Amino acid sequence: MYLKLAWRNIWRNIWRNKRRTIITLMSIAFAVFFASVMQSMQLGTYANMISNSVRFYTGYAQIHKTGYWEERSLDNSFSLPENVEKALIASESIVTIVPRIESFSLVSFGEKAKGAMLIGIDPFKENELTSLKEKLVQGQYLTENGNSLIIGKGLAEYLNVQVGDTLALIGQGYRGMNAVGKYGVGGIIETPIAAFNDQAVYLPLAEAQYYFGMENQITNLALNVNDFTKLDKLKNEVGSQISHNDYEVMTWREMMPELVQQIELDDASGKIILYVLYVIIGFGMFGTILMMARERTYEFGILVAIGMRRRRLKLLSIAEMILLSFGGVALGMSFSFPIMTVLHYNPIYLTGEFAEVYKKFGIEPVLNFSISPVIFFDQAVIILVISLLLGIYPVLHIGRLNIVEAIRS
Amino acid sequence: MKIFTNVLFILLSLRVCGQDATEIIRKADEKMQGKSNRAEMTMTIQRPDWQREIKIKSWAKGQELSLILITAPARDKGAAFLKRDKELWNWQPRIDRVIKLPPSMMMQSWMGSDFTNDDLVKQSSIVTDYHHQLLGDTLIDHYDCYKIVLIPKDDAPVVWGKIDAYITKEDLLQKLIKYYDEDGYLINTMILKDIRDIGGRVIPTRLEMIPADEEEQKTVIQYVNIAFDVDIPDQFFSLQNMKKVR
Repeated sequence: MYLKLAWRNIWRNIWRNKRRTIITLMSIAFAVFFASVMQSMQLGTYANMISNSVRFYTGYAQIHKTGYWEERSLDNSFSLPENVEKALIASESIVTIVPRIESFSLVSFGEKAKGAMLIGIDPFKENELTSLKEKLVQGQYLTENGNSLIIGKGLAEYLNVQVGDTLALIGQGYRGMNAVGKYGVGGIIETPIAAFNDQAVYLPLAEAQYYFGMENQITNLALNVNDFTKLDKLKNEVGSQISHNDYEVMTWREMMPELVQQIELDDASGKIILYVLYVIIGFGMFGTILMMARERTYEFGILVAIGMRRRRLKLLSIAEMILLSFGGVALGMSFSFPIMTVLHYNPIYLTGEFAEVYKKFGIEPVLNFSISPVIFFDQAVIILVISLLLGIYPVLHIGRLNIVEAIRS
Repeated sequence: MKIFTNVLFILLSLRVCGQDATEIIRKADEKMQGKSNRAEMTMTIQRPDWQREIKIKSWAKGQELSLILITAPARDKGAAFLKRDKELWNWQPRIDRVIKLPPSMMMQSWMGSDFTNDDLVKQSSIVTDYHHQLLGDTLIDHYDCYKIVLIPKDDAPVVWGKIDAYITKEDLLQKLIKYYDEDGYLINTMILKDIRDIGGRVIPTRLEMIPADEEEQKTVIQYVNIAFDVDIPDQFFSLQNMKKVR
């Protein structure tokens, strides 16, 4: 009964001055719209950067011989003991283990030669983690026992090779051995990571092992996991299965600190813009509150004079403010959500100079949008906090109200 | 007057010493090379936790011509290195390619060993590219040796700042060679061992190259056989022959 009355009061108060209410609603809504779209774009782009790098390169975690990450030499390779391999496969949190050899070699065709990143992979397992096969733009994917290679599009263009041509590879193998080989180009891939387009050459693992003279050895074992939010737990789990002295387990965060830092930096600058935005909204909201409090001084005076408790009046005004805020948030989201959803499924691909800048930083030139619930939750919480803070003003105003003066005003 | 003759005598004797030192180095070098030679050897690369063996055949004629062929392991079989004058070529049969090694690669490790490409083809000569000076004598491994210091000539294509060579007095054989960089730090030490009769000459048959800054690491070349002053035509040292020599 009491609540119902309060509710009716609030509702009527809000709509008594429609114009004032609509201005307040719209200013909150606009701020929410802008902030949520911006946050959505940031989160979406980060997620894309992470998934590009992680899903295409490192995997969520890797196992190496201790010291490999410091000195990425073939001499720091290892051969995975069978019992460890079985334990890893049996582990519930690991979906696939992906063995690789990574090193550098000179790739030569005709008169041209270029240093390339040579990656020996298990074609099937690699595809499960990185979907390499989908990146193929020409030719055939690798086969386990084949001896043809696939090459990044940029590198292929530089060397001017087509599918079917034969490349000569020259490099240094395991323990300083001579590494030379001739391989046909089986396919050409295009990847979202510029460095891979311009440098990557993939060989089947067995062929790479022969080329480098390191039978059964691999340099790293990438792990594809079920739940990438629990990497630290996984790291401990895997660490307990293998000998700590011989192997190191690293998560993508440890392997790509530059990516983590890049995201943190961008996130920080994004936050500053958001904070400025919130300050602007805050003042906008404060303006309407001030207006409301002044306008309603007479009304408050009368209410108190006829026996309304000041505390109830204070609660009433806070409740109005909260209701108005949430109305604004809801309105803002009803604008932003459809747009975010459309953009989430149809990311914006950049072209021209912007795209070049992105590529220089090694980022795929695409704007992705996230529709993570976190964005909506954050907005709601922040706007609520702001309105509660602003709610202090009418409370103070009511507390300080001099009834006589108020009625005469 | 007496002082003057003394000084003159000392100067003269230094000059004589300088010539002697060059002569000693030249003779010692000649002992190991002959006018020409043909050899088979085994190179063992030793590291703290592994070792690797490479079998080699080599032909050399004078200072200008040499050819080296890898015969084992199987993966490198047939790879060859040819030196003509100052140029070094590498034949890689697995990719059907002849690669010319640039001068910048001369100091790089040869086949992952502690020898450099330069050691292999002796692009620089310890006889003609250095000033030699006799510094005294020492006893090494029960052999009475000359100690000769080699300072590179100004225009010589060498990277060492200084070489100390220890040559046995009796047979003029290289016994110990120390390589220093421009700052005077010891980089490599070559020990020549197992002096015995091989191919009609008494020479060291085991060469150990020991880098100064790596522990438990060395490369050993062991001569299996060697023949000196064999008749090898100049055409033998050609790019065509490098591809088919066995």
